[in-house]
Amino acid sequence: MSLQSASLDRRNFLRAALAGAVAIPLGVTLASCSTGGGGGATGQKSAKNPFGMADNTTVDAVIFNGGYKTDYVDFAGKILAKEHSGSSVKVKPETKIATTLQPRFVGGNPPDLIDNSGADAIGFNSILDQLEELQDVLDANNLEGTKISDTLYPGVLTPGEFDGKLKALNYVLTLYAVWYSASLFEKNSWTPPTTWDEAFELGGKAKAAGKYLFVWGKEAATYYQTLVIDSAIKEGGDEVRLNFDNLKDGAWSQDSVQKVLTALKKIIDAGYVKPGGSGTQFTAAQAQWSNDQSGLLYPSGSWIENEMKSQTAADFKMTGTPEFTVTTGSKLPQTALRSTAGEPFAVPSAAKSVAGGKEVLRVMLSKESATNFAKTRLAPSIVKDTVPDDAFGSTALASQISMLNAAKTDTFTFTFVDNYGTNTDQLVLWNAFLDGKSSVNELTDGLQQISDKIAKDDSIKKITVK
Amino acid sequence: MSLAGSSDVRGALASAPGGKVTPPRRARRGSGRRVKRWNVDRVTLFIVFLGLPLAIFLIFVISPFIQAAWYALTNFGGFSPTYQFTGPANFIKLLGDHNVLNAFLNNVILALVVPIVTIAIALAFASAVTVAGPSIGPIRGIRGSSFYRVVSFFPYVIPAIIIGIVWSGVLDPSHGILNAVLTSLGLPFDDFAWLGDPATARASLIFVMVWAFVGFYMVLFVASIKSVPAEIYEAARLDGASRMRMTFSITIPQIRDSIQTAYVYLGITALDAYVYAQGLTTSGPATTQVVPQKILLNLFHNGQAGYASAIGVASALVTLLFALVVFSIARAARGRDEGRA
Repeated sequence: MSLQSASLDRRNFLRAALAGAVAIPLGVTLASCSTGGGGGATGQKSAKNPFGMADNTTVDAVIFNGGYKTDYVDFAGKILAKEHSGSSVKVKPETKIATTLQPRFVGGNPPDLIDNSGADAIGFNSILDQLEELQDVLDANNLEGTKISDTLYPGVLTPGEFDGKLKALNYVLTLYAVWYSASLFEKNSWTPPTTWDEAFELGGKAKAAGKYLFVWGKEAATYYQTLVIDSAIKEGGDEVRLNFDNLKDGAWSQDSVQKVLTALKKIIDAGYVKPGGSGTQFTAAQAQWSNDQSGLLYPSGSWIENEMKSQTAADFKMTGTPEFTVTTGSKLPQTALRSTAGEPFAVPSAAKSVAGGKEVLRVMLSKESATNFAKTRLAPSIVKDTVPDDAFGSTALASQISMLNAAKTDTFTFTFVDNYGTNTDQLVLWNAFLDGKSSVNELTDGLQQISDKIAKDDSIKKITVK
Repeated sequence: MSLAGSSDVRGALASAPGGKVTPPRRARRGSGRRVKRWNVDRVTLFIVFLGLPLAIFLIFVISPFIQAAWYALTNFGGFSPTYQFTGPANFIKLLGDHNVLNAFLNNVILALVVPIVTIAIALAFASAVTVAGPSIGPIRGIRGSSFYRVVSFFPYVIPAIIIGIVWSGVLDPSHGILNAVLTSLGLPFDDFAWLGDPATARASLIFVMVWAFVGFYMVLFVASIKSVPAEIYEAARLDGASRMRMTFSITIPQIRDSIQTAYVYLGITALDAYVYAQGLTTSGPATTQVVPQKILLNLFHNGQAGYASAIGVASALVTLLFALVVFSIARAARGRDEGRA
């Protein structure tokens, strides 16, 4: 081949290449624009089959494989197979929910049931339009014949409600508290603090004993944000919560928030927080509390017992106490709780068997499945009365039930951090604050900027909270 | 897909001037040119060696690029198949997003510092094990040089994410070996967060990246230095040149191409830096946040795939710009040298 003809050929190839480079992606893009339909086959509705699941359905469930594992869904699947012979549930344990399910949502073939949880969960406001309303699951009877909505704890539906519509059912009851070792406190005759002043005092006693009041880890620095917001809501009432959730201007400058931040800053400045948290992996930091016992208190959700199971000192007696208030005259009582639910289960509208997805939820919310969950996970599901008085021998679970009973109806939750995925940006600020590197004002400004940026961005769909 | 691609190519070839038009043979022969006819052999050759690779390249490399560039101009959320064209809105948003801009700044700083430090150390090591040996006898490296060569290559064998996990353990404030050693020497580093303190986080990140790369680039430079004729070093030594002088006047000019390649590779890696930043400082201070982390955040968590694509496109442009700058500087430097010679 002579040089001359080679150059001609090359030009032709480039031409063909260019044509291909334009044609192929266009084809791909166009192909990805078309959607598949959904709903799928349905069967006859009856008392035993309230959603009309078709015969011989294999329900496709993608379940987050985290602290609670996935076998509690398998358990419900077995009951479903017993109730509807021929049908079954195929549970796919998954840790990266968003990454795996993104192509399935875009392609219009999502699974029948998903547990959208974990660090790689899908932000709910980006899939809301594609999810079924789950009100009919609540209206249905459970396997024992009781209406499901009558069997649930109060307030547990809130985190799954978006603009007044129930789009997700959060299965695991989660309450936020400050956790401590009952045995350690008993030995030193300390009492768990109820106000920030008492916490500061306890910090002094901890220091005298060569310990710290708090520990924290870099990925979990915002657990202290949760503590601060909850505490401020108790102090200032419901209005504080609404200002946060609706991204109001000046939400972080509210009086009760500032009081709590100042109280926390006082504890940090006194050196009662174990330094180095901003460089410590969060489970390592939590082990400094549950195993080394170099810290006294840890603010967290009720998953903490399960999470640290293998790294908790023997005879630790993990116990929770409601988060502190600033004064004894707070708007909500000190026993009030941020009680919410986690592990949001949702049914995509485009799923092959929407009825099948709902049927699995109905089974999970029935007595046998819910009791199995509480017993094997040492955590209550949102179904009431599944935990016996001895709480299966778990002090943490027992304290959860007693905190819930003491709070009565004074439960609340806030959702803006989850709704808008602000946690990652907020972590940076909280790590600096807990490190003593930034002032209350700097933290307030930084956090307010994060909320303001979302409030001002028209491309982000807002969820109004009432 | 590959079949369609190759038939495209075949079609294009068939319609090519050389394919259809057969000019008078004699005239061609007279001018000394010759166009071969298309036969099965040639067509198969083109399909196998050009058509197929080209199709694969187009489908798996170019098409995602163009797709990302298209999504960057839309409000695609990542989970819904419907979206609208929004023009440059995402890029305008990017210019006002100080978190993302800060991540870009961090990447640029990494791209400036990591290659220079890595290359300087790798070059010093490479010289030591090749030409910086005893000044009597043949040109050779210091004693035990092959041992050092192997040892310094070790880090490159470890996957980046493992390096991140191991070093975050070493740098752990409470249980890390570094603080344990420092405090046992009586220094006040008890509970010091190397990766959490804004004063040291960036330097720690750079240190680990350099540690990971030095071995590989040292081996690269060793290979280049070996191809430099030993006579040049011998002549320089006879003229009384010091080792430092030999490095700057002989080694560096002779292996300049390798250095330039190393600089571009390292710079591109540093403009990514995702694995190291994620492995060492997941939610560390603002000085260690890098662009890919922001892309993933917007792509999967915030449901703003269009915006994430825009950040990706901007990142690709910065990378291209970086390569362009490095090549221009190298060309300018070479031009000056050649002019002087």
